[in-house]
Amino acid sequence: MFRKVVLITLGMALALSACGSLKPTNGTGALTKIRLPMGYIPNIQFAPFYVAIQKGYFRDAGIEIEFDYKFETDGIKLVGTGDVPFALVSGEQVLLARAQGLPVVYIAAWYQQYPVSVVAKSELGILIPQDLKGKKIGLPGLFGANYVGLRALLFKAHMSESDVTLDSIGFNQVDLMAAGQQDVVVGYTANEPIQLRARGIPVTEIRVADYVQLASNGILASEKVIKENPELVRAFIGAFLKGLSDTIANPDEAFKTSETYIPNFADLDAKVQKQVLETSIEQWKTERLGYSNPQAWENMQNVLLEMGLITDKLDLNKAYTNEFIP
Amino acid sequence: MNFNFIRTLAKNHNRNWLGVISLLLGLLVWHLITRYSGIPNFILPAPLSVWTRFLKALSDGSLIYHTGITLSEIVLGLLVGTMFATVVGYGLAKSRSLEKVLSPYLVASQAIPVVAIAPLLVIWLGDGILSKVVICALIVFFPVLVNTIVGVRAVPIALYDLMNSLHASRSQILWKVEVPASLPVFLGGLRIGATLSVIGAIVGELVGAEEGLGFLLQLGDFQYDTPMVFVAVFMLIALALVLYGIVTLLEKRFLRWQEK
Repeated sequence: MFRKVVLITLGMALALSACGSLKPTNGTGALTKIRLPMGYIPNIQFAPFYVAIQKGYFRDAGIEIEFDYKFETDGIKLVGTGDVPFALVSGEQVLLARAQGLPVVYIAAWYQQYPVSVVAKSELGILIPQDLKGKKIGLPGLFGANYVGLRALLFKAHMSESDVTLDSIGFNQVDLMAAGQQDVVVGYTANEPIQLRARGIPVTEIRVADYVQLASNGILASEKVIKENPELVRAFIGAFLKGLSDTIANPDEAFKTSETYIPNFADLDAKVQKQVLETSIEQWKTERLGYSNPQAWENMQNVLLEMGLITDKLDLNKAYTNEFIP
Repeated sequence: MNFNFIRTLAKNHNRNWLGVISLLLGLLVWHLITRYSGIPNFILPAPLSVWTRFLKALSDGSLIYHTGITLSEIVLGLLVGTMFATVVGYGLAKSRSLEKVLSPYLVASQAIPVVAIAPLLVIWLGDGILSKVVICALIVFFPVLVNTIVGVRAVPIALYDLMNSLHASRSQILWKVEVPASLPVFLGGLRIGATLSVIGAIVGELVGAEEGLGFLLQLGDFQYDTPMVFVAVFMLIALALVLYGIVTLLEKRFLRWQEK
């Protein structure tokens, strides 16, 4: 009787541990379900993920992805608490989160260029950061990638926030500029400049990435999943990078694939969407996909220190790793 | 021998002591949970880390600045909301037909949660102080209005008869009978309005603002600075308590005659 109980208990424990572990399985085994916080609404810029699913790269890696289009900071908190293994994040968020003790690590770079630009009406002739002196600049608010990118640009040009006037306008850069209420705004390289030109408004653009290399958008993992299940991390990154590589190699195919993943895609201006994808690809291209450049992290840390968003230097080797990329 | 003295002391200070003890106990439990449960600081910060954050925000001036902004929104909203509510409330109390005309609108306006229309108000009125004052005023308006109506209607007819027999003027009736007689109910409404006004200001600031405690709260959230979120929340509680206390003092001051 006693033996029977022990055997049953052992059997149950084994079964439970099999269910509990996030081991990726190949081919026939059950898939590991992963909820992935994307940090933005369904968008053509997520094409590498759509391609990786469509082509079965995630399935072959034993992973089933469920997209979760929630706020970036909420995704980071979920990774911090260990509720989800991965999230898509911007570089500065990694350091802000780690400064507050969140156990999160950046495991693969997706964007090699910081995706923020300052956009100005052409007639102002704003071509270099120094031209911004004395100008009023509209941006969503004093937070997030737009703000960090602008500050980095000013910092690099030996200017400070007091050399310009900042105007918090929410995510209304395109509308307010089209309405003539703003002449200079900060936005995403692959969004605002393209949208404005599509509306027939001639603009010039200063890309932050042309002046300073900053840790950009990539994949965040919890310290927990890295410790307990490094194979899952490797499998996830591998599948994603295949999707990324295919998207860069064949944008037209990636564009077609994305259609089914983005609601109301048919209502969007296809020409604009194609440009968004093209511009995004420019920012993804690099020799070794997924690679985190140490200098980009140093630069990001210096900008955040200068802004006062972090007060002490962090151990950057713990904030990112290149261990999992092929 | 001393027992009587202690018993009297206990009787007199019973309630105060209970309050303090309960607060200290709460803090202790909070401290023990954070210390022994292994919950990380960014999920539930320890009381001490909230206190340290409070001192830091106090010393760099940011806390006082943002609290000042929120307080001014609250005070302005409270003033505007109360003023409108009193005037409209008096009118409604005096005229049943006016009440018939306006009450569908008033009830409907209360059926809309302010949180739902706050984004609209920010679009219409901008993300400056005006939208917050209006949201605050809207939230304050209804409880003060209802209590004004109830208070004015509760004035005993006999008092009107008395004033009329003395040939009192309209304004004499207002100031010598209606205002004092309806004040207790009115101040009860104001007490609710005052605490609600804090919610109004925060709702407005969370939707779109660059300053104020709501902004500070959101900034703390965006920067994973949970102790800062706690500091902002405690400041809001403190503001609500102070406002509540002020109205209570007003009640004591103006309603002293009632106790006799």
